Amino acid sequence: MSDFNRRAGAGRSVAHRVARFTVAATLAASLMGGTVLAQTVDLSQWSPEYVKSIAGTRSFDAAKDCGLVTPNDYTGKVSYWYTGPFEADPQISHDQDKAFWEAFKAAYPNIETDVQSITYNELLDKFRTALLGNAAPMVVRLQILGGVEFAAKGYLQPITPEYAGFKTEDFWPGALKSVTWEGQTYGLPTNNETMGFIWNAKIFADAGLDPENPPATWDDVVAYSKQIKDKLGIAGYGLVAKQNAGNTPFRFMPQLWAYGGGALDEAAESPTYKEVWINSDASKRALQAAYQMYVVDKSVPVSALTNTQAENQAPFIANQLAMVISHPAEYARMRDLASQATGADKAVADEVVANMRYGLLPAGPDGKRAVVFGGSNIHVVKPEFVEGGKVDEPAVKALICMWNSPEWSTKLAWVGSNPGNINGFLTEAMKERLDTIPFLDVTTSMLPNGIPFPVIPEAPEIMNIIVPDMMQNALTGNMTVDQAAEDAAQKIQAIIGGGGGI
Amino acid sequence: MSSVQGQAIFRDVPEPAPKRPNIGQRMWASRADYLYVAPAIVVMLIVIAYPIYYTIELSFFNTPASLSLANKQFNGLDNYVTILSSPIFWKVTWQTVVWTVLSTILAFLLGLGCALALHREFAGRAMLRGLLLIPWVVSAVAASYVWKWLYHSDFGAIGALVVQLGLSDKPINFVDNTTTALYSLIVVNVWKEFSFAMIMLMAGLQTVPDTLLRAAQVDGASPWQRFWHVTFPHLRGVSTVTVLLLVVQNFNSFIIPFIMTGGGPVGSTQIWITHIYELAFLRQRWGVGAAYAVLLFIIMMTLGYFYVRALTRGDDQRAGA
Repeated sequence: MSDFNRRAGAGRSVAHRVARFTVAATLAASLMGGTVLAQTVDLSQWSPEYVKSIAGTRSFDAAKDCGLVTPNDYTGKVSYWYTGPFEADPQISHDQDKAFWEAFKAAYPNIETDVQSITYNELLDKFRTALLGNAAPMVVRLQILGGVEFAAKGYLQPITPEYAGFKTEDFWPGALKSVTWEGQTYGLPTNNETMGFIWNAKIFADAGLDPENPPATWDDVVAYSKQIKDKLGIAGYGLVAKQNAGNTPFRFMPQLWAYGGGALDEAAESPTYKEVWINSDASKRALQAAYQMYVVDKSVPVSALTNTQAENQAPFIANQLAMVISHPAEYARMRDLASQATGADKAVADEVVANMRYGLLPAGPDGKRAVVFGGSNIHVVKPEFVEGGKVDEPAVKALICMWNSPEWSTKLAWVGSNPGNINGFLTEAMKERLDTIPFLDVTTSMLPNGIPFPVIPEAPEIMNIIVPDMMQNALTGNMTVDQAAEDAAQKIQAIIGGGGGI
Repeated sequence: MSSVQGQAIFRDVPEPAPKRPNIGQRMWASRADYLYVAPAIVVMLIVIAYPIYYTIELSFFNTPASLSLANKQFNGLDNYVTILSSPIFWKVTWQTVVWTVLSTILAFLLGLGCALALHREFAGRAMLRGLLLIPWVVSAVAASYVWKWLYHSDFGAIGALVVQLGLSDKPINFVDNTTTALYSLIVVNVWKEFSFAMIMLMAGLQTVPDTLLRAAQVDGASPWQRFWHVTFPHLRGVSTVTVLLLVVQNFNSFIIPFIMTGGGPVGSTQIWITHIYELAFLRQRWGVGAAYAVLLFIIMMTLGYFYVRALTRGDDQRAGA
């Protein structure tokens, strides 16, 4: 064969490959827009009963579906960092993680994977360090607010759900907000979770309250907490107000939002994150409610100023605390604590577990219900910051498509979260989860009320420092409620203005 | 020595003292020794010198959360001005001084008392010495969590005991109270480190001549007089070193305040090291955190200078003799 023919042959071969890929991508997009991965979940009907009714009604073939995004015989390499299961995690988390990588290998036998599982507390710092040395992985999965810092600093590639063969409607609007920076999306939600309101039905009954229904509003929480304290002499609500602790905003912000307030305008339909709401009348009412419970009624633990939810677990299992806000995994934790109790404590602990109830978080005065949207997002790093200087786009798309498929989005979120892909709620795996994890239907039904923290790089400082500081200033009497809110507003304004003191 | 010859008096002129070589000459004379320590010096340059250099450099830059470090903005001494002009800085500095001074004095005195008590022979001395070492060997993290529960404002063991003994009708609020929180943490810190002072001073007590003590006793000196005029002068050197080490340790003490209170309530248990951590790692204010760290570094180097002087004072005197 002549050189010309060889070159022409090689050129035709490349052209064929490009054409085949383009056809496949187009077909994938049309199919995704059609019936295969099209959203068929009606969010307007969302409730614990609806969630149960749709579970197990459809099946998906992730390998086949993702083969339309990246051909299953594609040869390439992808590097990936994430937080996988560790020693303390339940066995099922390990099993599902292992099963995913086996399934990926089966679907894409020629894609080499370079994977690192890094602990939750270390991942952000290691990722920052790797970026500084241009040694980052191609793909990274970060906690829900972790990515905005890197998007703002220009490290992440702008990607949309369509990048990996999905549609915007396949994901929660609140979750997509968390991957959007200055109008551009920089990732896909992999899993989302919310919390529920947990109470001890027996304590409610002993205090003269309806044991099977939680307080409907936050004002009811204040009243219930006082009634429990007055009648039984134990703490009502497990207020959490520790400084420098992420637990604090996760429990206080739902209250703030329910009253119509916020730190910035994160609770608005289209937030700009430029308006400060922390000193609005609504926010002050929420702070006043916490003040009422801690200072006036003294119906919450005195130790709230140094408590995280972990410190609430012991009094709850000891029947000394009536109400807390937490994840579905809290039930498993209480059962674990009860199994370790001995003697007379065991009878008490077993009774507490038997009387645990989960419900929706209370609403505000106007009926608004809110919860923090938690979870993780998956991002693609720009080539110049990746080790080797290249991103294998088809391999990356294959990984993200598989990870976010309805089947794996559900299985990889088995224990404490929910699929980021809404179609995951239709799968058999979701049905099995609902049947085996108590109260999952309740926390799942809070998802439509989910609001992510402000999606700005300054959010950790605002949420973990300013908001707890405001609470502590008010609860210790260091400032009045008004002064504490105004003080927080000044600090937040300075921070989003690019300044801020120490 | 002078000698007389006729009317003139000649005095011998003393020979000039040998000129001590300067540091450069001494280093050159020992140049072969430096080859042996070169690998360690290289490692130190990488893991200590370069981070110090980078921290100093970072302290002159503004590092907003929305900008990568590669695009940091030079702002001269602004970070230092921000720190030194902040009322929070002075509040934290005062708290750091209180924390360091009280922890050092109390740990030293308690350690001295235990060392003196354990210096004499009695049945069970070895076991008691071992028990008193437990706070030092227990992990600071574990100790912090245990003490957090002992102090718990609602269910703490100390509070429960106080109520049961009828000393109060409700548990004591140790760490959820802005007035008592810092002092409560100081108690934990003293408990954790008095064993260190005890061990150092016990070693020092071995150097006190028994004959002097017996002579003082024979002369009618009281126990206090024997301690103050015989024992303590011999402990001066080891006491100086112990106090300096305690000061350095307390200045850098991070675990107890961070785990037990997170710096709260309302910043009442915030000290320099926890504040630096908060600024750098929780608030992403790398430039300001670096400037703060440089200030701490200057203080630590100053204390380190005095420590080395105290440690090597005897060596210089012996070398000169």
